[in-house]
Order: sequence, then structure tokens, then C-alpha cells
Amino acid sequence: MNVGAVKERAGPREFSPADDLPQEYREAATRMIEFHANSEIMGAYLERPFIRQAPSIDRKLAFSAKVQDEIGHGQLLYRAAESLGVKTREEMLDDLANGDGKFLNCFHYPLKSWVEVPMISFFVDGAAMRRQATLRRTSWEPYAHAMDKVCFEEGFHVKHGEDILKELMTGSQKEQQMTQEAFEEWWPRIIQFFGPTDDDSTHHDFASSVGLKQKSNDDLRNAFLDQYIPKAEKYGLEIPDEPRIRERDDGTYKVEEGDLDWDEFFTIAKNEYEPGVGQINGRKHAQEAVQWVRDTIETDTTAASGHAPQAAD
Amino acid sequence: MIWEVFRQEKTGGYHTHCGNVHAPDREMAQQYAAIQHGRRKPTNSIWVVPRDEIGEINDDEVAFGGTTDRSYRWATAYNTTGEDASEVVESEDEQADAEKRRGEA
Ligand SMILES: [Fe+2]
Ligand SMILES: [Fe+2]
Repeated sequence: MNVGAVKERAGPREFSPADDLPQEYREAATRMIEFHANSEIMGAYLERPFIRQAPSIDRKLAFSAKVQDEIGHGQLLYRAAESLGVKTREEMLDDLANGDGKFLNCFHYPLKSWVEVPMISFFVDGAAMRRQATLRRTSWEPYAHAMDKVCFEEGFHVKHGEDILKELMTGSQKEQQMTQEAFEEWWPRIIQFFGPTDDDSTHHDFASSVGLKQKSNDDLRNAFLDQYIPKAEKYGLEIPDEPRIRERDDGTYKVEEGDLDWDEFFTIAKNEYEPGVGQINGRKHAQEAVQWVRDTIETDTTAASGHAPQAAD
Repeated sequence: MIWEVFRQEKTGGYHTHCGNVHAPDREMAQQYAAIQHGRRKPTNSIWVVPRDEIGEINDDEVAFGGTTDRSYRWATAYNTTGEDASEVVESEDEQADAEKRRGEA
């Protein structure tokens, strides 16, 4: 199939590994799914310390289940990406470790205290879910199938995150104030989750013309704001003055994009933002520290079956 | 040799197990499967897999989902009030449905 034929046929779940697809499609899909997979992993590493810091046993249990889910999402997505035949899972994980792998802007920032946790597990997970729900109709079938399972699980993350926010915002005066401060710090980053406006997005046109991407950055961002601004306000959070957000006549919202720090965003996009570099290296060290576990599994499997195992799924 | 057969009804759907066939090799298995399983029901694609290559683990050997109360893992355990985003509602409904079917099993 050439690119023209792909564009013509492009529809939800249209292409599978059985199809003969042009390199351009395979590379675009790999870039998109690898980014998504890396983000699941880096998000999980960012949240992991808060399993220990969670304030109650219920929160610890739920939060550890959530972090475990995210690692699982990463695994599912590396499989979906690998099935395009462009990069192996090993190559993607190595690139993530050596700083070449790209991932979501929000996961480049440090997460310092429990009041910041709902900024990720309610707002960022909520934003991610908004996007992932549309990706159930992506044209790469293995990606769509991964999204079925991911979306099934995400409802718990978002509701649990909202429950943490609700608890903090009905807690002591100090907790409410600290949560508001965390919200002010995170709010612009959360809005940037959806990337720049469509005119400035480099990969949008091709990805949407071949059905990989189902909704534009602008549509997703606006849909998110419509749903989550009222939510934030309901729990007593005040929306910061900047970035300016205009309410349209129909009650929907629009962000003044010039108010956002795009220099920082693009520094992050190149993996050059200092806290993010630390997080990349932190994950790399964690990965190396448990190399012996993977080695043991591989050696045992080889000894037992008498031949080298296939990719260790 | 027995080959297990998985049929996908339409593009983008899941291949689900629908039976098995006797065949001496993969090519014959594909042809038999196409005839036995792809002739009447809507079919877009069929997979055949040698039965010996399939590993199974069942609920005699393992307690799927664990034996302790893990209700904290379900969206349905959290009563945040108000309007949820449609995709969150959808996920919660899917979970409620899975929970119900687990209860019935
Ligand atoms: Fe996830
Ligand atoms: Fe999540």
C-alpha cells in the first residue's frame, strides 16, 4: 500500500500487522505509540515514591495498584509499537534510558509533596483519558486494542485522584491552601499536556490524515477544559489568572496560548529540562539496579527450555 | 495434529476462539478452519495455532484477581459526586459490568 491508499482506507482499527504499510505510516505510528508508552513509564516512576508517602493504608493500596497499572500500560503500548516493525521494545527502553526517548511534558517536573499528587492522578490522568478515549478509534488496530484495556482501567485512576483532591479540599485550612498552591504551579503544565495549537504542531497533519490521531490538540484541550474547569471550581480551587481563559458564548473555554511558557515546553520536548533529565537518569539507575532479575529470568528460561527465549513478554 | 481456531468478525475486532480442527500442517489447518468456521458467520480473518503451543492456567490453579478484598481498585469504589467526563463514566460502567460478571462466575 502506498501513502495515498492508506489515506483513502484510513478508518478506526483499519490496519493490522497483516497489512503491507508504507514506512512513513509505520514510523509515524511508532513515534506516537513509543511516546505514549514512555509517558506511562515515566509517570509511574514519578508517582512511585507516593505509595510510601500516602497518608493512609487505603490510599497506599489504591496508589500502588494505580502505579502498577501504569507500568502495565507501558508494557501493552511497547507491544503495540513493536508490532509496527520499526523498533524493538529493547531499543525503545534503551532510548528512554539514554535520554533519546520522548515523553509527556508533565512528567519532567518534580513531584514534591502529597498535595501535588491529585494534579497528576486527577488532572493529568483526566487529560490523558480524554485523549485515550479518542484513540480507541485509531487506525492501528493493536494500538486501539491496547486503548480498550487502558481505558477500562483509567476510570479508577481518575476517580481515585478526584477522591484525593476532594479529601484535601475538605481538609484543614492549611491543606486547602497548599493544594491551591500546587494547583497554581501545575495548571499551566496541565494545559500544555495537549501540546501547542494545531498550527504549530509538527506531526499532526500526517497522523490525522492516516487515522492515527482522531482529534486535534485544540479540540482535546477545549473538551478537557469544559469538563475539568467546573470540576476544579466545584472543589473550591481558584483558576489562576494566567494563562487567561476566555469563556465563549456557548459556555466552552479557550486558552490564551501566548500566556504559556513555550520555551520551557520545547526545552522539555528536547529532554533538556533539568528536573526531567534527573528523572530520566533516575529511571535508568533503577532499571540497571534490577538487571540481575531480568538476567536470572532469562538464564533460567534458557536452561529449562534448551533454546533462547523469544522476546520476554 | 490439532489446531485451535480464532475468528475475527470484522476489521479491527478481536480474534476470539471458536473451535479447533484436525490438520497435518498449518496450510491445511488454515483451509479447514476457513471452511469450518469462516463460511457462515461473518469473518474477516482467522488464526490457527497448534494446540501444543498453547499454555493454559485456570481457576483451579490460581485465584484470579487475588483472594483479598481489592475494591479499592475499582472506579465504583469512589463516590466523587457530580458530573463525570463521558469517558470516565464509560470506564466505570465497563468496570461495574466486569465486577458483576465476576460475581456471577
Ligand atoms: Fe495509564
Ligand atoms: Fe492512569
